[in-house]
Amino acid sequence: MTAPAGIVLSGLTKTFHGRGKSVTALRDVSLICPPGSFTALIGPSGCGKSTVLRASLGLEPLDAGKVEIGGQAPERATAAGITGVAFQDAGLLPWRSVTRNIALPLEVLGRDVGPAAGRIRDLIALVGLTGYGDALPGELSGGMRQRVAIARALVSEPRVLFLDEPFGALDQILRRQMNIELQRIWAETGVTTLLVTHGIDEAVFLADRVAVMQAEPGRIVDVVDIDLPRPRETALFSAPHFHELCDRIAGVLHGA
Amino acid sequence: MALDLSRWLPPVLLPPVLLLAAWEVLGRFDLVASGALPALSEILIRLWVDRADYPAHVTATLLASGAGFVIGNLLAVLAGLVFVMSPVAERLSRGVNIAIFALPPIAIAPILTLTLEGMTPRIVLAALGVYFVTMQATVTGLTQYDTRAADVVRAYGGGRGAVLRLVRLRGAVPAILSGFRVAAPNAVLGAILAEFGGGGRFGLGAYLLGSLGRGEPDRLWGIGLVATIIAGLSYAVFALISRRMLGASISLSLNPAAAPQVPMGAASPLLGLGAILMPFAVWWALLWAMQVPDMLGKTPWAVVDYLFLADTAPAARAKLLAALAETLPITLAGMAAGLAFAFALAVAGRLTPAFTRAFLPIALVTQTMPLVALTPLLVLLLGRGTAVTLWITISVTFFPAYVMIAQGIAQVPRAALELPRAYGATGWRELRLVTLPASLPWLFAAVKLTAPRALLGVMIAEWLATGRGLGNLLNQSRGYLDFGMIWTVAAVSVILSVALYLVAQGIERTVLRRMGMIRQN
Ligand SMILES: Nc1ncnc2c1ncn2[C@@H]1O[C@H](COP(=O)(O)OP(=O)(O)OP(=O)(O)O)[C@@H](O)[C@H]1O
Ligand SMILES: [Mg+2]
Repeated sequence: MTAPAGIVLSGLTKTFHGRGKSVTALRDVSLICPPGSFTALIGPSGCGKSTVLRASLGLEPLDAGKVEIGGQAPERATAAGITGVAFQDAGLLPWRSVTRNIALPLEVLGRDVGPAAGRIRDLIALVGLTGYGDALPGELSGGMRQRVAIARALVSEPRVLFLDEPFGALDQILRRQMNIELQRIWAETGVTTLLVTHGIDEAVFLADRVAVMQAEPGRIVDVVDIDLPRPRETALFSAPHFHELCDRIAGVLHGA
Repeated sequence: MALDLSRWLPPVLLPPVLLLAAWEVLGRFDLVASGALPALSEILIRLWVDRADYPAHVTATLLASGAGFVIGNLLAVLAGLVFVMSPVAERLSRGVNIAIFALPPIAIAPILTLTLEGMTPRIVLAALGVYFVTMQATVTGLTQYDTRAADVVRAYGGGRGAVLRLVRLRGAVPAILSGFRVAAPNAVLGAILAEFGGGGRFGLGAYLLGSLGRGEPDRLWGIGLVATIIAGLSYAVFALISRRMLGASISLSLNPAAAPQVPMGAASPLLGLGAILMPFAVWWALLWAMQVPDMLGKTPWAVVDYLFLADTAPAARAKLLAALAETLPITLAGMAAGLAFAFALAVAGRLTPAFTRAFLPIALVTQTMPLVALTPLLVLLLGRGTAVTLWITISVTFFPAYVMIAQGIAQVPRAALELPRAYGATGWRELRLVTLPASLPWLFAAVKLTAPRALLGVMIAEWLATGRGLGNLLNQSRGYLDFGMIWTVAAVSVILSVALYLVAQGIERTVLRRMGMIRQN
């Protein structure tokens, strides 16, 4: 893998005009994720986290602001195959097997799927779905589908990774396990990661920095540095400093 | 008796078997309309006696409807693709599309047989019968793709082409197949109609026409049966294919791009005007391109002349208005009844799936019965009064409406269905909270679909049975070789049909918008 690329979001502003009501999903959202960093984005439901992520990928036309990924406009970065993404909704193609769903980004990018077969098998194992390669999404549980989406996000060997509540449908144990896996992948590949999550503990466990959002208008109210040493292990979840950080973020979240 | 039978038969087969038994008894003892309903065994014996006649007729009908089916569907899928990719093309063609959809085949059958030769009128009518159904199914299928899956493709730099190729095309396959399924009997109906209205020696329609005057109910029923079997099989083949293909790949949960809607963009007044003028331009251009003599082929202007300017115009207008006054009320009544029946049945099916499973086969069989073949039989049974018109109209609107609404209800995602259930909601309540709102767009689609069909049913009944209204006027004018009136009735019935469609659409828009089911911009 080549050098990681950073994410620079400056002044993102976006208002949705719905029926009779307008929602300012983003107002002047700025965030810098240095190359190789791990940033978590946290905030109440509906505050605009998914919109930040979609805008970062150039999927949401903005009223104002600019996105740069590795110094490029998002459209160019995505087309170049720099990015990987797992949306909040898995968005799997129901007629494709797990394996072929995971291969989808390669096809979109015009890369050869054949040589990636081994890699896809490894990813399936990584997300704990060994033996389900030929299953159709309709035969999987919600959590299993989410894991397919995670594998799919990694298949293109991205330098920048966007994850929108990827572990939302997983049980606590599996979630911790996946957190450890994600940390390992991040450490091994140095992929710049922006993780949207509802879990304060998950954010603190994984991230270098946690950006906290508030709703109406959606904005970033604080960025908390997480100075915990790496590699972080499960024991951390019961460490006092860990809880201190969690409490601090909870304070910002709840407007204390 | 029924209890004993149920031990021997699977419950699904019970209603049809009982029905057949009743039929046999009624027919054997000439209990219905003094022998107008022959026993099934009598019909089968007559089929056997006539067996040498059938191959040539069946072959001719199969060839015409097969060719029309292929050609019509090919054009339809291509057109659907073009319309989805180019809203301007869609907007411009809207008038032509609606006209093709709404035109009662019987109204243009005389024109086609006057201006085209050999098998061509049959193929054209069969193709016209399938085009709109498949075109709209294609557009619907391509439009209501899963936007989340599309986002994934776009997130890797995929453009419109990639989204179309990877997400939308394959996602549209079930819709297109269901279009084929509904269209297949239409092709048979169209071909038989053209055979019936256009002479020629072979084809089931021609056979039927030749047997009409003979007062032999068992032969008429035999022909009707064969026609029904062909149409029913054509439906069954595609039903089977789509079941095979769908399997486990049904959609996972509600996809936000739903609501069957032709894209609304690019609606400038200029395009609207173009859309209105286009059908007339096509009409003119076809006449010109095929070098139809003036006497036979009337241009739009010639029709205006016939109806408003010529010396005979007042008389022509009076005849036309009198016919309209007879046709219109019964069309609306038949349509309302057919629709209500279809909706009630689809809803009942949602609440009691066992009922649908038992009833659907019977409904399908009666409904794939080509109208022209059905009408003489209904006349035998019901006489030549208003009742026959009403029943034909109901039966012709019911089938497509039922398929459409039931499909809509079946598409309510599992998750959405289970939610009210999870809170202990009973069948009716769940229906009101989830099933009805979710299937409402389909209900309106069914209204739009049935409006022109109702007119077709009425006209066929009028032509063949009651001797009143527009259908009769058309038949008479054919007899008098009154070409001006033939073209006028064709044009007026198409316009009337389009008007009915547009009214249905207007109501649909209003209601859906009020419910927030049409996306803004
Ligand atoms: N396409 C859209 N049209 C209209 N409004 C939208 C659209 N997408 C998002 N919104 C609105 O923008 C706001 C932010 O939405 P977003 O999905 O970004 O929230 P979120 O922080 O990801 O919430 P959650 O944690 O529940 O996923 C919400 O109020 C939502 O209603
Ligand atoms: Mg979200």
